[in-house]
Amino acid sequence: MRRRASLILLGVAVFLAALAPLLRWYAFPRLAKVPAGSYQTAVLEAKDATLVDYARMEPRTVPKVTLVQTLKGNAEEARKIRRETGRDVVVWDTLTHMNGPDGAMISRIPERYVFDAHSQQPVHAGGEHVDGTPVRRDGIEYKWPFLVEKRDYRYFDMQTRTSAPIHYRGTRSFRGLDVYYFEQTIPWTSVPLPKRMPLGVTPETVRQLGLERWYTTRRMFWIDPVTGAPVNGEEVHREELRWTGHPEKKPITAFAGHVKMRADYVDSTVALVTSQRRLVLLLTSWLPWGSAGLGGALAALALFLEARTRPRRAFTGQKTHYGGKTERQAPGKRAAWSRGGSP
Amino acid sequence: MRALAAAAVGLAAALALVLTVTAIGPPEGTTSPEPLLTSAPAHP
Repeated sequence: MRRRASLILLGVAVFLAALAPLLRWYAFPRLAKVPAGSYQTAVLEAKDATLVDYARMEPRTVPKVTLVQTLKGNAEEARKIRRETGRDVVVWDTLTHMNGPDGAMISRIPERYVFDAHSQQPVHAGGEHVDGTPVRRDGIEYKWPFLVEKRDYRYFDMQTRTSAPIHYRGTRSFRGLDVYYFEQTIPWTSVPLPKRMPLGVTPETVRQLGLERWYTTRRMFWIDPVTGAPVNGEEVHREELRWTGHPEKKPITAFAGHVKMRADYVDSTVALVTSQRRLVLLLTSWLPWGSAGLGGALAALALFLEARTRPRRAFTGQKTHYGGKTERQAPGKRAAWSRGGSP
Repeated sequence: MRALAAAAVGLAAALALVLTVTAIGPPEGTTSPEPLLTSAPAHP
């Protein structure tokens, strides 16, 4: 009976010990992925921002500019690309909608971002665009990979439509979470005008006035290192309309402001990330370490039971044969130590 | 010999469980009917 128990314990111990590395290095990379149909919104605000008045082509200070950002997973398109390429991808159709203090549209920039659901690296499957212009990303955008490393990443900038390093600047504490802080500075660069602007202004209208759009930004992200999700984002953003071929003429500030995530969205993002990180930690840490520890304990118990069984057989003079039969003892040879278990 | 058999059964069970779970995978999901927003909602 004791031998059977030790064998069962040994089987369970091996099961748990094998489960630990399998969960961490086989199951986790295959199971952890961004859902194809995810839907997320974020609202960012810039208080006391500077904004161009297109009617007078003059900058003015406004109490608030709001950026509404929506990320919508296109599950049907992701399935189609997976059939074509064999890769598990996520297709995000996004919209960054900028509104003035009166709620009127200042600009709207749609995007399509196709990336690997597991690694978050961009996938070039066609259809990627920023404001209708095809792009080819070589950096991440919006979300970092799972299990973020303390290093620089390449991050795609929607305005310049190029990727540049985003630098790891240390670990910070944010709303009770230990997060990695990243920062990217885009120097003054000539960038395309959004196709949709207020008062029916078009990129062609602005060009005809002899103006071109320049932009610089310093973007900051606080990233949960487990899920790779941003829990907070800020940007010190400046845009100018500069006179083409006339560097001596004073540029018109099109937008200047410190854009911060609205407090209620920070709260909801932190709550969402906190729940999601538990799932990732379950697969990367809690289950593997738990099953390895329990497996080790059960293996030790199995060995202990086995060790208790063997000496008793030796002292009683019993010999177990394969098949469970025991030798019959000779009369008068009963061992004195046979009672009371192992010594 | 029995110990080896018990260990093999444990190992096979672990492999079978992990392979089955990863083969099934997480649910694929569908595209949300929610629109791309053009104005800020009152709350998340």
